[in-house]
Amino acid sequence: MRAATAIAGLAALAIASGGALVGAPMARDEPAPAFSDAERAAILAHGPWPPSFDRDPSNRVSGNAAAIALGRQLFFDTRLSADGKRSCATCHDPALAFSDGRERSIGLARVDRNAIALANLRLNRWFGWSGAADSLWSHSIRPILDDKELGATPQHARDLAAADAGLAAAYASVFATAAADDQPERVLVNIAKALAAFQETIVSGRTPFDDFRDAMERGDREAMARYPVAAQRGLPIFVGKGQCSACHFGPNFTNGEFDDVGVPYFAEPGRVDQGRHGGIALLRASPFGLLGPYNDDPARTTAAPTRHVEPQHRNWGEFRVPSLRNVALTAPYMHNGSLPTLEAVVRHYSEVDIERLHGDDGARLVRPLHLSPREIADLVSFLETLSAPVSATK
Amino acid sequence: MGVIKHWSRVCGSGVALLLAIVILGADGAAACEVPEGFARLASPQAEIAYRWEPAELKVGRFFAAEVIACRAPDAEPVRTVVLDAQMPAHGHGMNYRPAVAETGPGRFRFTGLMLHMPGTWRLTFDLFQGDRRTRLTRDITLKP
Repeated sequence: MRAATAIAGLAALAIASGGALVGAPMARDEPAPAFSDAERAAILAHGPWPPSFDRDPSNRVSGNAAAIALGRQLFFDTRLSADGKRSCATCHDPALAFSDGRERSIGLARVDRNAIALANLRLNRWFGWSGAADSLWSHSIRPILDDKELGATPQHARDLAAADAGLAAAYASVFATAAADDQPERVLVNIAKALAAFQETIVSGRTPFDDFRDAMERGDREAMARYPVAAQRGLPIFVGKGQCSACHFGPNFTNGEFDDVGVPYFAEPGRVDQGRHGGIALLRASPFGLLGPYNDDPARTTAAPTRHVEPQHRNWGEFRVPSLRNVALTAPYMHNGSLPTLEAVVRHYSEVDIERLHGDDGARLVRPLHLSPREIADLVSFLETLSAPVSATK
Repeated sequence: MGVIKHWSRVCGSGVALLLAIVILGADGAAACEVPEGFARLASPQAEIAYRWEPAELKVGRFFAAEVIACRAPDAEPVRTVVLDAQMPAHGHGMNYRPAVAETGPGRFRFTGLMLHMPGTWRLTFDLFQGDRRTRLTRDITLKP
């Protein structure tokens, strides 16, 4: 029932967001902004979209239709939580672009961070705001066990998968073993791999920006003119003086890494959210990493980041550089949800307090931009064109 | 996208490279026998040959490097090479620590290299002979 409601919400989202976020196209009497060769190259580098999504070799059921169906069922199943009232979808609601609209999410208790919208996850190298997980399946284990989120245990997960006839049959079909015969930790990992298989299918569609970018590539000025003029003015700021694309680069508008952008890092008075520094520590302590026994890929072909990641002083206060796809659908912003609107985000960068930065000595990338009100509005207009309907396997 | 524009800090142009070769020739030092697919990097003190795998570097993609230490200040063998990268304009380095393995006398293979931002990166090759370090640098500009 919950799942049906959620998918209905998904459909509603798709309808509601289709084109609704696009501003007015350029007026006939307003000249199109001219782009330099460097700007043009930078703009083209943000596509094409969609990219190919390859299956995850560390997850033997990645791309498996039965696993996707099982994962989808579990994603909406509140019985996976300790109190039977919460599911993954509680904080990753399809009707809210698989986010929850809250500053900080609420599971069994209020957590320290904002729920990251789920989409295009196969493009990620790291998962979560601090990159504490190196695979989507590994990342899917954390909220199940976290006392503030679903608060379950491996035993709880196995009991659910073994006791429910439908789940037990699906589990056996996907993993060729009975949940009742598997060790609890193995069942937990398998459940997480099914959840990952489902989440991999959540992808965002083509945006107004993608249409503009492709029109630019083929030299179609008529199609380019359909892109809002304010967004066209915002683009050179994004790829130029704003230096936004230094971190938010490529088709998914992220480098997949972490940075300190001057957002306060106290989770509460006297308690620091360590960000990437803590994430690397958790990664190294986890038995579910790509260098551990649950990686299904004997060659460890995707484990290079885990093998070579190096904790550094500057990791304190660093949080993930999020994708900007669907950014207009996923307020509030930053790791702690402290900025309510895109305009607030742009103003943050425009007047960023560099005293808050942990960065080592030397010139820094994040510096006050001192944007004019019109530049702020133009940059917001551009960001608003990065959203599109989300789809997921039903 | 992903097109690399790079140049050597030491041999910033063909003319500079030629000049370096002339200087080395005047010193009587043997130039690197650069295998096919390798590039050369030299200063008056030292010279290496290197190549990337894959050959074209892209932002955010892991790559490996092979380095041949051809010439260094002392007669003592080069015991190791440390390869690192920094973004001078941003004041940071790589997020990952490469691993190095000696694959033969004066030959080293690095894995786990990754340049996570577009812009200019300064790669440093530190050749160690005992406690003596000799540095060669090369700047690489990665497009988004």
